[in-house]
Amino acid sequence: MFSNFDYDVIVRSLPYLFYTGMTFTLLLTALATIIGILIGTLLALMRLSGVPFLTVPAAAYVNLMRSVPFVLMIFWFYFLVPYIGQWVTFSAQPIKVGAFASCLVTFTLFEAAFFCEIMRAGIQSIPRGQVAAGQALGMTYSTVTGYIVLPQAFRNMVPVLLTQTIVLFQDTSLVYVISVTDFLGAASKVAERDGRLVEMYTFAACVYFVVSFAASRAVQLVHRRIAIIR
Amino acid sequence: MSAMIDIAGLCKWYGPTQVLNDCTTAVASGEVVVVCGPSGSGKSTLIKCVNGLEPFQKGHIAVDGISVGDPKTNLPKLRARIGMVFQHFELFPHLSVMRNLTLPQIKVLRRNAEEAQQKGMRLLERVGLSGHAGKFPGELSGGQQQRVAIARALAMDPIAMLFDEPTSALDPEMIQEVLDVMVGLAKEGMTMIVVTHEMGFARKVAHRVVFMDKGEIVEDAPTTEFFGRPRSERAQLFLSKILQH
Repeated sequence: MFSNFDYDVIVRSLPYLFYTGMTFTLLLTALATIIGILIGTLLALMRLSGVPFLTVPAAAYVNLMRSVPFVLMIFWFYFLVPYIGQWVTFSAQPIKVGAFASCLVTFTLFEAAFFCEIMRAGIQSIPRGQVAAGQALGMTYSTVTGYIVLPQAFRNMVPVLLTQTIVLFQDTSLVYVISVTDFLGAASKVAERDGRLVEMYTFAACVYFVVSFAASRAVQLVHRRIAIIR
Repeated sequence: MSAMIDIAGLCKWYGPTQVLNDCTTAVASGEVVVVCGPSGSGKSTLIKCVNGLEPFQKGHIAVDGISVGDPKTNLPKLRARIGMVFQHFELFPHLSVMRNLTLPQIKVLRRNAEEAQQKGMRLLERVGLSGHAGKFPGELSGGQQQRVAIARALAMDPIAMLFDEPTSALDPEMIQEVLDVMVGLAKEGMTMIVVTHEMGFARKVAHRVVFMDKGEIVEDAPTTEFFGRPRSERAQLFLSKILQH
């Protein structure tokens, strides 16, 4: 199988693979993680608020997102977002949304549902006494949440959040369904153009493995550094 | 004499279970009241009602004339004036000792950072922990943590202090250092309600002892009277069990 393995095709396509492909993949991963955690935290607070007006829509959203195949979401959003944009902005035609923006919206909204559940577990892991102590000192809900609960919940959940980010990093390859060139998309294009499927897909698999493995080791290191002393 | 803390006809239910039944007592300014009784008798619940951490269904509580149960009362504002110390300390583990003391002052009382820091340092000195300002709560012993918790409550300049079994989670050798701080406070004239099994502390500083059983205040008597000749059978039984060692 490897007797006529062409290493040269890999070397030749490195700039394209990394500059075009990996940049997209990493940018999408990073932005979707950051915005996803922000929205997810908000959703988690809504779910835990005990106010039906907030808990019901948040729970419905999370359950909906978690029960639809991701590829379907990517596909669906790509065709729907322009029309939603048109409806929101009252414009005459569907607004033009680039493939990147569409992917970013989809990934963010989808990941927000997962980050919500992680943050919800994190918030619930904080002892009730911590909230009581904050309240007893005269702190309002927002102060207790912002200075006592969320910082601890976030730090407790960092390993899980980062692990979810690694999954997200791998999931970005699903953008192939709307023909966006991420890292795997770039590899795939070269593979088909040059008829070098074995080389390019093997190389892509190795890169995903190395990045994901290194990242999960880094997660452990980060966790050890920021763990709260109890 | 108007009471600093006035509890009248207090009743509380958890679902169908009644945990407080018609509790009435009052604490005057500068008075130290020890609340004791068997576990599950509602002592902790009673003092958590005083600063509104636990809601109650019937009765009336007023602190410094402000009704706790009134939905119009600004509870955070009222709580900021009542210090509370918990059984499990409840220091904020992600913040340094000093930050534990300054954060509530800055966020609740709107003190500036420098003022809060000075106040924090003075109180840490007072509880004998000025050398630990930069440490995290997890690096301190239980007794030290509880002293920090007392300092944190005092930093808010409270008009009264509530202690919820402050020494129950401590190793025996650390109980005294916490009690010493509390005795000091009592001697300075702080209004205090202390839920505790430390009868030595009660004898030494309490003006009155409230004995609770099954959600009711069974006995409410001056300290010497309570220890000398408790009127109720249940209090006699409790004392005989707790004092025989």
